Amino acid sequence: MKKILTLMAIVLSAAGILFAGGGAESTAVAASAENPLTIKVANYALLESGYEDFWNGVKEGFEARYPQYRIEWVTAPYGEILNQVINMAGGGDRVDVIFGEEAWVPQLYASGLAAPVTGIVDEEFLSDFDPAVMDVFTIDGDIYGVPLYVSPFILYYNTDLFEQAGLDPDNPPKTYDEMLAAAQKLSQLTDANGNKVYAFGQTTASVVVSGNALISMIYNFGGDVFTEDGQLNVDNEGFRQAFEMLALLDENGYNPQNAKLKDLRNLFALGQLAMYYDQSWGFNGVTSINPDAASFTASAAPLAGGSGTGEAVLCSHCFILVDNGDARNEAVNTFVQYVISEEVLNDYMSSVTPAYPAKESMSDMEAVANSGVLKGAADSISNVKKVPYVSAMSDISLDLCTLAQAVTVSDTPVDEAISAFVRSASVKI
Amino acid sequence: MRSLTKKRGDMYYAMALTLPAVILALLFIFIPIIDSVIKSFQDYKVRNIIGNIPGEWNNFENYTKIFQSGALPNAVVNTFSFVILVILCQFVLGMALALVLNSNVKCARFFRSIMMTPWVVPTVISALIWMWLFQPQYGLFKYIVEVFTGGRVTDFAMLNNPSTALLGVSIAALWKQIPLMTLLLLAGLQNVPTDILEAATIDGAGSVRKFFRITLPYLSPVVKVSISMSIIENFKQFPLFWTMTGGGPDGATTNLAILSYREAFVSMNMGSGAAVTTIWMALMIVTIGVYNRLFRTQDLS
Repeated sequence: MKKILTLMAIVLSAAGILFAGGGAESTAVAASAENPLTIKVANYALLESGYEDFWNGVKEGFEARYPQYRIEWVTAPYGEILNQVINMAGGGDRVDVIFGEEAWVPQLYASGLAAPVTGIVDEEFLSDFDPAVMDVFTIDGDIYGVPLYVSPFILYYNTDLFEQAGLDPDNPPKTYDEMLAAAQKLSQLTDANGNKVYAFGQTTASVVVSGNALISMIYNFGGDVFTEDGQLNVDNEGFRQAFEMLALLDENGYNPQNAKLKDLRNLFALGQLAMYYDQSWGFNGVTSINPDAASFTASAAPLAGGSGTGEAVLCSHCFILVDNGDARNEAVNTFVQYVISEEVLNDYMSSVTPAYPAKESMSDMEAVANSGVLKGAADSISNVKKVPYVSAMSDISLDLCTLAQAVTVSDTPVDEAISAFVRSASVKI
Repeated sequence: MRSLTKKRGDMYYAMALTLPAVILALLFIFIPIIDSVIKSFQDYKVRNIIGNIPGEWNNFENYTKIFQSGALPNAVVNTFSFVILVILCQFVLGMALALVLNSNVKCARFFRSIMMTPWVVPTVISALIWMWLFQPQYGLFKYIVEVFTGGRVTDFAMLNNPSTALLGVSIAALWKQIPLMTLLLLAGLQNVPTDILEAATIDGAGSVRKFFRITLPYLSPVVKVSISMSIIENFKQFPLFWTMTGGGPDGATTNLAILSYREAFVSMNMGSGAAVTTIWMALMIVTIGVYNRLFRTQDLS
């Protein structure tokens, strides 16, 4: 009897382990305050310092205004949220909205998760967005993301260090040649503790966003990485010149080697970096280290190099939507329109995340008009270039980082490094 | 007759007790491995998972692409370099520590407890700690090198230099793994018969001779298991590499784990990721097989 009971316990336990799980929430009943519909929003920002209050406020405000809806956050660290969302979808549990970056769109499109927003969000609302901005989200004629705000990789610079170096802080460099001339003077400086001041920062560490920053730098030189139809296109002067510039910056010790954006933000906040490329909202990382950074920070348009005009990659924080049926889509439509409004974003964009609005009707909003750190680069929004759709974009971004590291920390000749990049990237496209 | 029935009953009972473990191993180890090998020959991407679309045979394309990209040889070399470096240092340092702690050193129990601290720290946290220590602008190591070189080396950056980055990750791995190796060897040392060691001492054997002729042979089963565990642990090392260097700089720390992750979860190409994993698994099986064979030969001799 004992044996039989033991066996039954084991079988029941095993069955429990194997078949445990929950069913999907039914959405057949119309949403109401008594029977609210919950939408799942994947959001890494809730785990990052400085953003939690804003997003909790969004949830509170949204649920108070629309009591028929509830928000359930799905969180994971920045580097893991995409895998989290995809793993959930693989198990049949699809989120409704993903808060992310425009660079995630190709992956989510290729995975079949991202849905065209035109079928979910009101056309009237979408028509208010700058067409050049929406073009960034367009794949095969459909739009796959709704931006909250945008920014190219702009040039942040330290006005105090410019003054110390005898440079005019109101007249930042406009070209790479001007930047090199300024860098020569800036690199002679040290901070109050005698630490070296780096003249110019361009991220090259092995993370996807560094690859995007490198593409932006290639565009600064009028170069290309891909053809319109997403094939590799690196046999051009601009591409080569960008990496020659990186090699030169490294040779002169101007650029911190193999740095992530957060390393550059740290150095800039501590007064050890005079200029660097970042998305506008990277300034939040700077102020989290040095709350007084606004007193010495100014921005400028991306530099022009070679025959280029300083074109840049347009970055954004956006909502990527998943089609989970009409009832949920209606809730998503309401949520997207609630968040992307002057009322919700004004404080956020003025105090937390300095950025340029994506909606034309929000272009004069107070947060932008009064932003000292943003005004210098405001015109750069109109000088952006779309990155064509490439499904293996993230992996190729990492290959670009490897190329940048080859010409800097490894001292590999530029031609040789480009050949290795082509060999690796061409099989991924 | 009754005894035979009881014997059969016991056998069924034993089988029934084993069955859940067998089912779980089949479901969660063997079937996924076979599934992964099959997918390594297919065009199988994230879209297939989400849309529940079966993969399609793609004529060894996943394997040919990996070889064409030139990434595989570098990853294999990095993996083996890391495994060999870490295991050699880990064994030598672990053995030295175990011998010290096995002697009548004061506060041995206290040191044993303190020594285990790195082992209980999560790997990602260890990686972050070492990243900060190696940080090129304000890391502790940069400062120490600057002081010890009298200010001649001011830009020491362990993880930024392709020739030292693997060493940097190895140091972090050693810091984390030496405690366990020491503990296992210490447990083995405490089982070495003292009467034989005393007899050898009376016969005039020196410490070195006693160590190589008595202690080490008695330790060999423990050494075999602990090094096997270490080979597996370091062969599949991912979090230290991904957190500390992301495989850079210039591919200097791209091991098979990083390559597999990039193929599967950055490129979102599960088939290609599975191909790297299959090669990786085959290499690990061969390595462990060769190691076991070498060790068995030593046992026999």
